[in-house]
Amino acid sequence: MTLTQSPSLLVAGIGEMVLSSSPEAQLVAYGLGSCIALAVWDPKMKVGGLAHFMLPNGQANGSSPVKFIDTGLDTFLRALEARGALLNRCVLKAAGAAAMLTVGEGLAIGKRNAEGMESALAERGLQLTATALGGNSGRTVQLGVGDGRLLIKRLSSVAEL
Amino acid sequence: MTMLALSDAGQVVVAGTFSRAMKRAGEAMSSMSGQIIEVQTPILRRCTAAEVLAIAGGPEELVLAVYVGIKGSLSGHSLLLFPLADAHRLAQILLAGLLGPGELPMKASDDVLAFDELELSALQEAGNVTISAFLNELGMHLHEPVHPTPPQVVIEMAGAVLDAVLLDLFSDLDQVLAAKTTFSEGGRAIDGTFLVLPRAESLPVLLDALGAIGL
Repeated sequence: MTLTQSPSLLVAGIGEMVLSSSPEAQLVAYGLGSCIALAVWDPKMKVGGLAHFMLPNGQANGSSPVKFIDTGLDTFLRALEARGALLNRCVLKAAGAAAMLTVGEGLAIGKRNAEGMESALAERGLQLTATALGGNSGRTVQLGVGDGRLLIKRLSSVAEL
Repeated sequence: MTMLALSDAGQVVVAGTFSRAMKRAGEAMSSMSGQIIEVQTPILRRCTAAEVLAIAGGPEELVLAVYVGIKGSLSGHSLLLFPLADAHRLAQILLAGLLGPGELPMKASDDVLAFDELELSALQEAGNVTISAFLNELGMHLHEPVHPTPPQVVIEMAGAVLDAVLLDLFSDLDQVLAAKTTFSEGGRAIDGTFLVLPRAESLPVLLDALGAIGL
């Protein structure tokens, strides 16, 4: 986890989360395939967070606090609240959960991640306002903390979610 | 959780076997292309998920990847990853070997993302032959056959290609054993990365078959 006020690019590696209240900060998760990124932004407090989840369930550890959705989601949400975010007014968006490989478990893991995210949020009374989930292409996501814009970059295109 | 511990002597045995298997892989690619393609001595080490992504050039590096799953007494994943420019160059070398230089079709586009069917087919077959040669060498030490899945070619960000594989391996592990090598042809490096990622339950089988346990 990286916690900083510096106006810079903060990268959420696989199983990691980044948070900031700096208006210049850009939070990024590179090269999502089956993984799923959850972007949360509080428009009033201008606090944002980006978590790069790997799998729907499992036991978290210190080096990868958001490796699993079921055990990592609360860690992420509590960290946002500690920065002043009020979850009920936050904008929540998710991207990733693609099926990159048609052999093996690639397809199932992406789908399970998407389902796991939606059900875990619903259990906490939260819901996604926009998604870019599934398909078979990779995505890089970037959340601007100052304006809440979430950009989705694919192989040869960039779009705002 | 932790990886199966190996003594220094055990690691030498495993590295030696992987080195021979990588050499076989290079010979298979040379045979297919008609050019001498050399394989660097592989680096074998335990890696975190982030380190595996770094080996592949970083999560956002655009790559052409050939994926072959490994099933049988040794199970896991293997991938050949090439930066796109290197993939085009390797495809031209392979096609020149298969078709002859005068019969190479003109490329329809200079777009580095654009691969025509011939290129994709050649690269898929190169990946298949290379990875199978590697598995055959390893299989000689095992008492049961090792089965590769049909190859799949993907052009994508390295992170997106690898994360499905990493999710499978890291569901109950924090580190995996990764073997990496690079290729060269005519003195010029083809910046390819060959990753072999055995599943955790396969490691004792593999290490026992190689005689690496108890050294």
